[in-house]
Amino acid sequence: MTFNRREFLKTAVAGAAAGTMSLPLTRMAEAAARELEKGWQWDKSVCRFCGTGCGILVATKGGRIVATKGDPDAPVNRGLNCVKGYFNGKIIYGADRLTQPLLRMTGGKFDKKGKFQPVSWEQALDIMEEKMRWALKEKGPHGISIFGSGQYTIHEGYVASKLMKAGFRSNNLDPNARHCMASAVVGFMQTFGIDEPQGNYDDIEYTDTAVLWGANMAEMHPILWSRITNRRLTHDRMRVVNLTVYGNMSSDIADTEIVFAPNADLAIQNYIAREIVNRNAVDWDFVKKHTVFATGPYDIGYGFRPKNADKYASAAEMEIYKNEQVRVLDRYEAIAQRRQPGEAVPQKNAATPMKDWAIGFEDFKKALEPYTLDFVAEIAKGDPDEPMDEFKAKLKQLADYYCDRNRKVVSYWTMGFNQHQRGTWVNEQAYMNHLLTGRQSMPGNGAFSLTGQPSACGTAREVGTFAHRLPADMVVMNPKHRAVAEKIWKLPAGTINPQMGSHFVKIMRDLEDGQILFSWTQVNNPWQNTANASHWIKAAREMDNFIVVADAYPSVSAKVADLILPAAMINEKWGAYGNAERRTQVWRQQVQPPGQARPDIWMMLELSKRFKLKDVWGAQKIPGLEGGLPDVLPGAAAMGYTPESTLYEVLFATPENRKVKWPDPIAKGHPNITAELLKDGWFPEKAMFEEYRQFGSGHAHDLAPFDVYHHDKVRGLKWPVVQKNGKWVETPWRNNEQYDPYVQKGLGIDFYGNNGNALVMGDLDKPGDPANKIDISHKAKIYFRPYASPVERPDANYDLWLCTGRVLEHWHSGTMTRRVPELHRAVPNAVCWINEKDAAAKGLKRNDLVWVESRRGKVKVRLETGGRNRVPRGLVYVPWFDESVLINKVTLDTTCPLSKETDYKKCAVKLYRA
Amino acid sequence: MNLSGILVMAHPENLPAVVAELDALPGVEVHLQDPVGRLVAVLEAESVRAEIDGLRRIKTVPGVLMAEMVFHYFEDDDESLSELPPEIAALPGLDAQACQ
Repeated sequence: MTFNRREFLKTAVAGAAAGTMSLPLTRMAEAAARELEKGWQWDKSVCRFCGTGCGILVATKGGRIVATKGDPDAPVNRGLNCVKGYFNGKIIYGADRLTQPLLRMTGGKFDKKGKFQPVSWEQALDIMEEKMRWALKEKGPHGISIFGSGQYTIHEGYVASKLMKAGFRSNNLDPNARHCMASAVVGFMQTFGIDEPQGNYDDIEYTDTAVLWGANMAEMHPILWSRITNRRLTHDRMRVVNLTVYGNMSSDIADTEIVFAPNADLAIQNYIAREIVNRNAVDWDFVKKHTVFATGPYDIGYGFRPKNADKYASAAEMEIYKNEQVRVLDRYEAIAQRRQPGEAVPQKNAATPMKDWAIGFEDFKKALEPYTLDFVAEIAKGDPDEPMDEFKAKLKQLADYYCDRNRKVVSYWTMGFNQHQRGTWVNEQAYMNHLLTGRQSMPGNGAFSLTGQPSACGTAREVGTFAHRLPADMVVMNPKHRAVAEKIWKLPAGTINPQMGSHFVKIMRDLEDGQILFSWTQVNNPWQNTANASHWIKAAREMDNFIVVADAYPSVSAKVADLILPAAMINEKWGAYGNAERRTQVWRQQVQPPGQARPDIWMMLELSKRFKLKDVWGAQKIPGLEGGLPDVLPGAAAMGYTPESTLYEVLFATPENRKVKWPDPIAKGHPNITAELLKDGWFPEKAMFEEYRQFGSGHAHDLAPFDVYHHDKVRGLKWPVVQKNGKWVETPWRNNEQYDPYVQKGLGIDFYGNNGNALVMGDLDKPGDPANKIDISHKAKIYFRPYASPVERPDANYDLWLCTGRVLEHWHSGTMTRRVPELHRAVPNAVCWINEKDAAAKGLKRNDLVWVESRRGKVKVRLETGGRNRVPRGLVYVPWFDESVLINKVTLDTTCPLSKETDYKKCAVKLYRA
Repeated sequence: MNLSGILVMAHPENLPAVVAELDALPGVEVHLQDPVGRLVAVLEAESVRAEIDGLRRIKTVPGVLMAEMVFHYFEDDDESLSELPPEIAALPGLDAQACQ
């Protein structure tokens, strides 16, 4: 590289950066930037990584991405990128990118014990079809499954959902978002009757207080953190509180760091509620007009196998699993739940954890009585070396903030609350404290559930790629909802399976049991991301089943698969994501995928050509469903279908959808590999999006037309997006009359999600007379939920808490970020953070290689005693991005019984030199 | 070659000191600044480590309030794509050749 070219490049890069940030440029820098970018084509896109949903601009030249920058016009990030987002352009160019289908074979034939050999797409689809037919013949629709994703594009998720639910009539489609946001979703549905946050990111610039509950935003939502930092530095009144089980980077700017013990969040939030009530800080006007008090059962188990757990578990594992039948309460739980210490409580509501009923305020107040500062501090103090009076002072300060009527408050949380064995409860408690004080659905005031994945909202939740879901918050169990879906999808009545399918962990258990025989993974890494992984790795490799994994890189899941399909990545296909603040954003295809890699949509559409209605719409047996599914072929005939019609024609390339043509002017010359390969002349991504819109329009989930999002000036829109005076207008704060078109005039605040719902009145222990119902239309529920101790605690044998999570530089299981050498070098391997005193007591020091072992498995890892995380004595922390430190072999598969989301944040381990 | 444009913010009164410290860092040059306290640094990465290390060092310079990457140029970057984490390169049953 010549000196001159180098200097030119540097000047040009500086100029480009300055231009993006609207800094003044020198003439030379400006000219250099222009020169550098000659022949480049810039287009808007979205970051591949977290739920923040930053906007980026991507430059292509000669069929390659050559540069990226933060999009200065994106309201989310205004030109900035964090270190992961920065590498969006490079993640598609890792050296070991999958470019051909690979099938395990011996002697030219499929062999589960064979080595991977390249095959053609035709051969790959052939064997998928063969194995799906086999699974359907043996087990009916329940025999097949798809592990979907919160990183699916909206188009992909919609196609997957329709294929499974309308085509194969199977509800065994569940996303990794189950591991991520399910507790938040159930919390929303139970409290508000409708999913997703009321507020948006602008709350940051309006608020006086940001409370982080088990969410290390500095590393996990860095761009939002930079906005909070900016607010803290520029607004005198602003205060930041970081509640966490270990000191981390978010504590750097926090005014108060509260290190608490696992599960004590349940107690702390009740303490705050008790303070609010006792200090007369309740906003009675708000509470009376807009809320009802409610509660539910406490004996709900821990999400373990309801029966025959001993068939698959060791004696050591059973010590924990037996709690699913009976829980012996410790002293704290007994006080918190108004029972006796040592009482053995049968878990009668393990199958009905969602039951709820209304209670009066006096009962609510009574339930909060035990949660005094002394009681809660004893449960909650997480750092054994912190003086108790200092800890109490911090809790009191936190309560002071919530009780201060003149203070706006936003509460943020992500995995600390969601990946929790009482995750739904703890989400509901966050709303409890905001609703009690009238702080919801207003600028700067609200409990805001942060999303981890880039489209857990936009795809998994809004499209409904879950075992119980249909689009727009509807559920398969509700006959009215099924009728709506059958109408939009033009299906004969009775097509959709009314029985909830298997959720993510249950799909794994069903594979272990042999109830599911075929599994297809899309856009995630189940055998790295699921707790108690040794069980599932064994099931995939040793049971008689067929495992298909579509991915861009060889992940752990690809390695346990029988068939690997090479997938196109972001910017190699058209797509759309919906971020945490309900902002739907889109991108065009920028470059072609390498080799034979193809978009997941193309894979599903090609597969759908191979199945006919006669294969899937006859009568079907469903385990647990009396009578099974009806034969809908006569109904299909009446609608003009024939038994020979393919799923492709009936579900996807319908006459309506074929009207959406490819090429399309909105593409502005960009390619579309899906359309080009299908050679049908229709635009699948756009057609499916327009079809999907019908579900939400008029139902408070409205999306604008496809082309509106692709307009040059648009940087996403927050739904509901409705037309006003010919313009498409987004909704910044929902349930607030000033901003939300769905609010009933005159109500001011309207929680319309619960319209038409009613609750039976009861007391703290049970519902009362079923005839005594109260209408909760327009209202949100304030739940009382008790403290519950973690089901597995450290003991003499396993003396440490294990908490797991992430680091800034790596996204999830590292399949993309570890291929970027810079990110890989930054944090090449997972380490185990441990308190120096704990290490010393075990004769260990920094960098020592140790085994971290639980009742379920062990991994080898190096110790870290310093750096970005400061763990208290008694706890260790290991991130999960590193497949060579497969920490999920060690974690416990306990889930919140309501949401079925795994608690990755607390189990018991021992540690010793390797 | 990798070049990044990084936005750095500092209090205006600290700007001269920050600029001096940044310029002294290996691979880092300050190209533009404004009186409000914002400047653009260009980070050059010939070796793969320098890019991330460089940003880290920038963030820890006293007086720096914030440093985030804005622009990333990697058109001429062939070298760095061929590195693989060792355990990926040695996958059982799935060799690098089969992937290509």
